[in-house]
Amino acid sequence: MHLLKYRILQTVRRGSVMFWALAFPIILGTFFYISFGSGDMGEDMEMIPVAVALDGGESVYAETFLEFLDSMDGDILRVTPMTGEEAREALLADEVAGIFHCKETPSLTVAGSGIRPSILKSLMDSYDKNAAMFALIAQEHPEDMGRAAAAMSQWREMTEDVGVKGRTMDPNVTYFFALIAYACLSGAFLGVQSSVDTQANLSALGARRSITPTHKLLLTLTDMLALFFIHFCNVLILTAYIRFVLGIDLGSDMPSIVLVEWMGSMIGISLGILLGSVSRLALGMKMGLCVLATLFPGFLAGLMFGQMKDVIEHHCPLVNRINPAAVLSDAFYSISVYNDGERLARSVGILGVMSVAMVLVSYLAVRRVRYDSI
Amino acid sequence: MIEIQNLVKRYGNLLALDHLNLNIKEGEVFGLLGPNGSGKTTAINCMLALLKYDKGSITIMGKPMHPDSYDLKKDIGVVMQDVAVFDQMTVRENIDYFCGLYIREKAKRRQLVEEAIRFVGLEDYTKVRPKKLSGGLQRRLNIACGIAHRPKLIILDEPTVAVDPQSRNKILEGILELNRQGSTIIYTSHYMEEVEQICSRIAIIDHGRVLASGTKEELKNMIKTGETITIEAVALEQTHLEEIRALPHVFDVSYQEQKLVIRCSRARHNLVCVLNYLQGEDIAFGKVFSELPTLNDVFLEITGKALRD
Repeated sequence: MHLLKYRILQTVRRGSVMFWALAFPIILGTFFYISFGSGDMGEDMEMIPVAVALDGGESVYAETFLEFLDSMDGDILRVTPMTGEEAREALLADEVAGIFHCKETPSLTVAGSGIRPSILKSLMDSYDKNAAMFALIAQEHPEDMGRAAAAMSQWREMTEDVGVKGRTMDPNVTYFFALIAYACLSGAFLGVQSSVDTQANLSALGARRSITPTHKLLLTLTDMLALFFIHFCNVLILTAYIRFVLGIDLGSDMPSIVLVEWMGSMIGISLGILLGSVSRLALGMKMGLCVLATLFPGFLAGLMFGQMKDVIEHHCPLVNRINPAAVLSDAFYSISVYNDGERLARSVGILGVMSVAMVLVSYLAVRRVRYDSI
Repeated sequence: MIEIQNLVKRYGNLLALDHLNLNIKEGEVFGLLGPNGSGKTTAINCMLALLKYDKGSITIMGKPMHPDSYDLKKDIGVVMQDVAVFDQMTVRENIDYFCGLYIREKAKRRQLVEEAIRFVGLEDYTKVRPKKLSGGLQRRLNIACGIAHRPKLIILDEPTVAVDPQSRNKILEGILELNRQGSTIIYTSHYMEEVEQICSRIAIIDHGRVLASGTKEELKNMIKTGETITIEAVALEQTHLEEIRALPHVFDVSYQEQKLVIRCSRARHNLVCVLNYLQGEDIAFGKVFSELPTLNDVFLEITGKALRD
């Protein structure tokens, strides 16, 4: 307890360390909140204003397309029929986000890129696919057209957005889970910093601690426990800030989220202690290694580029099983998307085993070490 | 207490310790004297099993020293050359923390911490963080952290570097007190006055080798110089210097910036002879100093260079 108490004290009083460990993720979360539109997080999206260009002489297929747009009107879209010229002017004046043209082959005109044009394009693509499917059914199984139309009409009822334990999930919440995952892994910086105080070749403090009769394993474990306690508290504070200050709905299964944060904090600290212990590099190099070891797994896990994790899963699934960022991300998805307890347990188990393995390797690396130079 | 035999340590092509031999007895204040880069700290780090070495053996209290020799480490206190304390903790917290790495029992530790604070004279600064202390007070804290657990063997590696004279005297008095209380002391320094003041036995090292060792009297008896006479004199000519060099027992004369330095072997009345000569030649002179040989003279004679070079 004596060692633990003082290790916590001296870590908490390190201003720069606490800034990066606590203040920085909170600031980042605030920027996320501002960037994604304050107040809109977790609520329904605003309807997108669109124009339907009707210049007369629409094809027979236009009726089907108009019905499709009608079904979206008042839900995702706010549809306004206009002439082609009026629609163009409205688009240029930014009064509408796009123009749907009801020709033989329906088309879409947008004036730029962004979320709203992307959604409109997705709708257009969806319609095109369905139209192609109906054309094929009409050609090969005309007798089933009625059943196909009925099935299509039920599509919306069958694809309700359902999230954590029955609560509607906002897709933007995943960004905040990614932030929490990043915060967990950034515990590695605390771990590396701590290793400086343990190794005689890196600091006078390390030398002084190395020549005491306190067992190296006890020193390593005490450091880890103290840092874990601080880091876990930081992650909890970040979560509370996201949930109660920013008002982001992280779902109703908070105990599972806290459990994943617990294991995430442990893997972050263990990773840092491992990186700090196994190499004989100078502190600056170790910190550089730490940046690489937190950002690269994060990249592979899709924390920056959403599809990356799926690409890895397709080509080399083992990487996703041993990449701590991917396992952490999977644990959060198990809670927020899949609602899969078994998958969550597996992820938590992997994180636990990896943490223990990392600490053991760290201990073995430093327990009898003598340096070439100090 | 400590026996080092044929210790060889290389940093790449640089030979830092060249078959170093030391035998330090229980209860003594042993001084390792040498210029910067002579191998003092390397020798200490090898003793503490912090550094790998290429050849030789080290035993402390009759046992070989390894990184996991925890039974030996509990009886050793080390005061590093660099101040090794946590800037985020107060003076008392630092001493308590480091003492706690040796002593688990809370009541005993509390008493030892108070004693260490009194010992280094930091009673008025117990709640102050190290950054706010002067260099001298930081050094005293560094010492307190190293000796609070009352070790049998205390190794002090240049503990007075960049310390004001008041703190330096306090530190040196403290070291002698620790020795009186029963601790064996190893003291490294390149300040010959300090080593001469407190050490009962001294090893002079350079280039990783022991050049000479013994008590300060033994070391001084090893050399030719028995007395160094320094005189402020103006307008001395070469013939005067040659005549002074020819005086009995004089073996070296130098004259620079109106300062005449005469080194004589052990004999009575060396100073009287020199002054008689100056008066006889009607040479005006000012201040006159006569000094017995110092460890610097020992180092100078053995290596051909001054200790501070």
